[in-house]
This record gives sequence, C-alpha cells and structure tokens, in this order.
Amino acid sequence: MPTSPLFDGYTTLPGTWDELFTDRGAPRPAFRKAVDLLGARTSSAFSACQALAERALLNQGVTFSVYSDQRGTEKIFPFCLVPRIISAEDWAHIERGLVQRVTALERFLDDVYGEQAIFKDGAVPADLVLASKNWFPKLRGVRPPGGVRIHIAGIDLVRGPDGVFRVLEDNLRTPSGVSYVLENRIISKRVLPECVDAAQVRPVDLYPSRLAEALRSVSPVDPGEANAMVLTPGPYNSAYFEHSFLARTMGLELVQSQDLFVDQDEVYCRTTRGPRRVHVLYRRTDETFLDPEVFRPESLLGVPGIMRAWAKGNVALANAPGNGVADDKAVYPFVPDMVRYYLGEEPLLEQLPTWVCAREDDRKFVLENLSGLVVKAVDEAGGYGMLMGPQASAAEIAEFRERVKAEPRKYIAQRRLELSTCPTWVPTKGRAEARRVDLRPYVLNGRNGPWVLPGGLTRVALVDGSYVVNSSQGGGSKDTWVLAEEAA
Amino acid sequence: MISRVADHCFWLGRYLERVESASRVLGVTRNLALDAGLNPRHVWLPVIIVSGEEKRFHARFGSAASSDGERVQDYLTWDLENPCSIESSLAAARDNARSIREVVSLEAWEALNALYLWMASERARTEWSDDRHSFYRRIRVAGQSLQGIARGTMLHDDVLHFIFLGVLLERAGQTARILDVHHHAFKSIGAHDTIETALWLALLRACSGFEPFMKLHRGRVSPDSVARFLVFEPLFPRSVRFSLRAAAARLERIRPPSEPDLPGRESQDRLRALAFWVADQQKDFEPASLHELLTRVVDETSEIAGVIGRELLGHTQPLAPQAQAQ
Repeated sequence: MPTSPLFDGYTTLPGTWDELFTDRGAPRPAFRKAVDLLGARTSSAFSACQALAERALLNQGVTFSVYSDQRGTEKIFPFCLVPRIISAEDWAHIERGLVQRVTALERFLDDVYGEQAIFKDGAVPADLVLASKNWFPKLRGVRPPGGVRIHIAGIDLVRGPDGVFRVLEDNLRTPSGVSYVLENRIISKRVLPECVDAAQVRPVDLYPSRLAEALRSVSPVDPGEANAMVLTPGPYNSAYFEHSFLARTMGLELVQSQDLFVDQDEVYCRTTRGPRRVHVLYRRTDETFLDPEVFRPESLLGVPGIMRAWAKGNVALANAPGNGVADDKAVYPFVPDMVRYYLGEEPLLEQLPTWVCAREDDRKFVLENLSGLVVKAVDEAGGYGMLMGPQASAAEIAEFRERVKAEPRKYIAQRRLELSTCPTWVPTKGRAEARRVDLRPYVLNGRNGPWVLPGGLTRVALVDGSYVVNSSQGGGSKDTWVLAEEAA
Repeated sequence: MISRVADHCFWLGRYLERVESASRVLGVTRNLALDAGLNPRHVWLPVIIVSGEEKRFHARFGSAASSDGERVQDYLTWDLENPCSIESSLAAARDNARSIREVVSLEAWEALNALYLWMASERARTEWSDDRHSFYRRIRVAGQSLQGIARGTMLHDDVLHFIFLGVLLERAGQTARILDVHHHAFKSIGAHDTIETALWLALLRACSGFEPFMKLHRGRVSPDSVARFLVFEPLFPRSVRFSLRAAAARLERIRPPSEPDLPGRESQDRLRALAFWVADQQKDFEPASLHELLTRVVDETSEIAGVIGRELLGHTQPLAPQAQAQ
C-alpha cells in the first residue's frame, strides 16, 4: 500500500469536467481547504478510513436486498468516502432551477388530469403525451387532497465538460436513495470529522422532519390530528432499508398493504386495538399495485378501494398516482416548454437535446446514427433497456434498430454526455482515480410549495471507463457536500 | 399498534429468549459432561428432548448420536435444518426485527445485527473450536444485553410489551421443559449423592438460578427444593410462576382491563388463570405430581400463544412455532 498523499498523481480525464480538480491538477479554489485536508492523508490511512466506513454501514444494516437471491441476501450499497463537493454558488442556481422545474411539472400534471389546456394551446403535443404507458385516463378529474401531486421528486442532473449542470431525467413516482444521502453523511462525520468541519458543509439530517411536515400538510384532516404512514411492499423489496429508515426517522408507522383496508371510502389500518383511520400514505409501492380494483384485477397485492378513497379526498397518497405521465422520457423534451407555458419564464436548468423516436424525422436520424447515440426506453429505470451506442457491438445495435422500429414510442435517444468525474477510491490500486458521477437532488413539496434538500445522492460508476452509475450495474455512492455561503 | 408489527415483536421476543436459553443450556451441559464422570448419553439426551428435536435428530443421526456431545452441540448450535438451533433462532429473530426496523431502536437493532453477523463469520467458527466456553458465554451475554438494550432505549409502549410478552411466555415454557426433562432423567440415573447434587446444581445453572437459589436456601440442595424453586419462587425471574405473572402483566398493559371492548379477552383470561393456578399449586405440592403440573404449563402456554395470535396478531389460525420458523 503506497504511503504517498491520497491525491498524489491524480489525473483528470481529458475533455471531462472534474468535480474537485482543475485540468492542471490543482484543487478547485472553492474546495481547497477540504481537498487539502483530505489529501493530507496517506493512501494507507485513507484505506483504513474506507474500511471503517464500510464496516459501519454493514453493522448498521444499511443494505439493499439482492432480488436474484431468494434468501434475500443483503449487500451494502458500495460507498466511496471521497466526497463530491458543490459550491454555494452552483447550488443556489440548482436550487432555483429545481423549484422552477417541479412547479411547472406540478402544473402540467394538474392540467393533463384536468382541462388539458396545454394541448389545446399547442404548447405540447397531446398525442405523444397521451400515448404514455403511464397516462391513466381513469384518473382524469381527480383533485388530490391538499392539491399536491409531486410530494417528493428526485431530479437527476449531470455535468458536461463545460461544467454546466443539466437535467438528465425526472423521477416523480417513487424516487429512492435519500436514506443513503443521510447515512453517508453520518459516516463522513464519523470518519472525516475535521474535513466536514473545515469545509462548512450544509446539513442534510433535517430531511425526515421536512418530509413528515410536507406529508401532514396535505392531510384531509387537521395536520395535528393526521395519521400518516409509510407503505412498503415489504422486507424483500430492494429499497426496504430506506422505507424503514424513513418511517423510523419520521416517527411514522411502516405498513404493508395487507395491514390496510377500505370501508365506506375511508382507509383503515388493522391494529391490536381494532381499526384505525389513515389520512396520509407515503407509498413506496408501485402505483399499478396500489388497488386491484383499478389497475390489475388479477393482482392479490394492494388495497381494494384505496383509489376510491383517494378520489373522494379521504386519503392523501404521496406521490399521487398518475405522475408517470410527466416523467416519461419522451415527455421530458417538452419540460422547458412547460416552464415557459405555465410560468412565463425561461428555464433556469438546461437539459440534454433529445430525439423522440415516435416522431418520424427524429426516428430517421436515430436509426441512421445508432452507433453514436445513447438510446433509452422511456419507462425503464436502473440503467436497464438502454443502448450505449459508442460502446455497443454490431449485434446489439442491430437488435436495438429492430426494437426502435417495432415500438418507436418506447424509445428516445441522446448523445452520450462526457459525465463529470470525481476522485474515487480504487481499493485494488490503493489510490484515487477519476470516475464518472451524476447527482440526484431531492425536492419536497407540500401545501407551502417546494423545498430542496441541500445535498443529494451522488452516484459513481466504480468501473474504470464506465458511464453507468446505477447500483444494479456496478455503481456506488458518495456523500455530497453542499458548501455554506462564506460568512461575509 | 399494527397487528402484523405486533406479531413480529412477539416472535422477536420468543426467538431472542430461545437463543439465550439454548446457549445457556448447552454451555452448562458441556461443563457438566466434563465434571461428573457420567455416561454422556445421560447428559446430552435430555438436552435434545428439551429442544423438542428428539425424533428428527435420531432419524437423521441414529439413536446412538445422543451420546455424542459434539454432534448434539453442533446440531443445536449450527444446524440450519434444525429450526431450534441457535443460528436458526438468531436468523429468525433478526428477520423479525428487520421486518419492523422502524419500531426497534437503532441500538437494539445494531446489537442484534452485530450478533447475527458475528455468528455467520469465521471468527465465530474459530471461537467455537478454540474456546467453546467463551463461545456460548458470548451468545448468552449478547442475548441478555439485547433485552437490556431494548428496555433501556425503547419507549415502554405496546412494541416493548409485545416483545417481552414473547420473551416471558417463551421463558415460562423453557423453564418448565428444562425442569421436566431433567427431573425425570436425573431420577432415572440413580447416581450417588455427590453426583446427584452436581446434577441439580447444573440444572439450576441452566436456568441462571444457582446463585439466587443458594441465597434463599443457604446451600441446602435437594431435588424437591430445586423443583419448588424453579416452579414457584415468586422472587426468581425465571421461575414458571414469575414468568407467567410477568407475562400476564405485560398483556394487561397491552389490553387494560378497564377497556373490556378491546380484542384479547380470551388470551388475557387464560393467561391470568394459568398464572393463578400455578401459584395455587404451591400449598399442597407433591413432588410426584411435578410432571403433570409442568405438562399443563407447557401445553397451556403454547395454546395461549395461539389465542394471542388469533386475537391480537392477526393470525387466522394459530401458528405453530415451526411454521413461523420457516
């Protein structure tokens, strides 16, 4: 194990933005203090810290379940102790942009499930939106309790070689990962206390109380009287740790659908003292498994009648069912138009140029340029259903050509972005190397409007040369340090 | 509280108590086997019987296997096909806790998870082969600490009441079974006095009752006094009487008698009746009726657990421990 300082010999990738270092290999000025302190550790000292961090995560049971294993084996989500740092100035811009975007998306959903004025005015094409697999005509006309649909949003951002943050995709259904944000911070504070202190990092641990407040604010009864609960598919769900983490840190009960039933269009929970009324459910179950009466008659899962209770305004569901029509990847190219249409503002956050295969001209271009593009299925997550053109084999490209031709509405394409990098601990080499990262900030939205958690989940592609940051495909996470404004 | 959550709490308590009890019994029995110069079968067979695994054990390893202390210990410690092995019970306790992590305190969860991870590690195997005494001691102490951590870090509300309802019902049954089986076995050995005394002392130790017994009886050991102590002693926390009374008290916190409309009436009536009945037997206790008394305790606690499941935990029919273990 080398005993040289941690960042000795660290090199950035040509043509790529590095989060901590400039092209000339110096720490970015805003992060100098923190990076110098981190870099003062030798590789072997850092290695010991990293091992300590991993052991702490395992002992605390900060794990996700592996689906392929029937005994429900748990693994820790790989964690790299070198933080990703964001300056106060960059963050202020991101924050404003996210609030704007979520506000527009909220208005869009209200409109799509209401009057559909945006289609009539021609700002966004109706045929494309209403062809989404996640558009549920049955829900049209329902006003959700509290008037909120996107209570929790996870907006994925990436950063190109120019250093500009751009939106990669919106997650408006059941975005996950926030528990890792909070756990990663606990670990950083424990293992790198002097760095966290010197860097003036903004706290993230207020998230659960803000979430509980947002949930209670949309209750059909007085928020002080509201019984809010977290609904999970159960311990074998890959995100179960997070469901239980959030319930625990909010002080709410964690229920499964078999604990709930509907009587007279009101939702009740089975307790040791008989039935108890439920007013707000933070549901982490897929919406198509919420209510067999509405979505899947053959399903044994779910709570029969819960959608009627929701439509009557007797229970708030967070997030509201039906949001998938707004985070559909083929609808994403139109979000800037939504911002202009509903808010009369220019979008603050840029996004990636996108070809929508449902449109003939776009499709033609995509089919001719498959080897230079990233093709994504509009409704898949976790890095599945995706073609990385520049790295794909001829056979894979041929396969995608057929898929796109067969179901054009299902695909979009973008150029491969040179995702920014961040120094990342590589245990096999005993040193830090540049690895690609993205960023998922979280936006909470209650009766009083959106609030952005100062932090977020930085996912990192641990494999050398990889662009895929998903935990299911060799990705890990980093603590994300949003720096406080320098005191004047 | 949510019935399903209460169910996990109840079983978490039962499995925790099984882990602790099994590690204590095995540790003590090992010691006894070294001490007394007895036929190994007389020492180990009762342990297998107490666990309720006699049939399966003999079917798998042959009837001679109960003379093989190593085989018995391995089966009751590591065997994952044995739902009562320490490792199985520990995994079941952790599964139950993991299903209700939001209601168990972080400190209690971490302690349980740490024990579970240790048990699955090479370190545990090494300790098992190098220092058996310390191995069983570590599990017992971790089990005891866990109960203490739960008491000291969690709200004393229904969650904790259900966990300890599980602990105490399990404990009443365990003490009754350990006493019943050993009482019978020791009598049949017909050993001379010194050895017999060693056996009774070991029995007390298997129930953590050695020191409390000596304090009350000033060193006078007889089969009768040990049996009375383990069944009736109102001050000893593992006696059948104490455990039943404490379990009934937990149930009264869960379902206050002042609220007769709440579910749980039959569980409460039967548990209280059993506790009173045991206390009543002390006056005219005949050693010859010990087996009968203990059998009634074992059967009735198991039935009461079924009624609790039906009335409070949302079971449609009583779950047998084996069914839960899967």
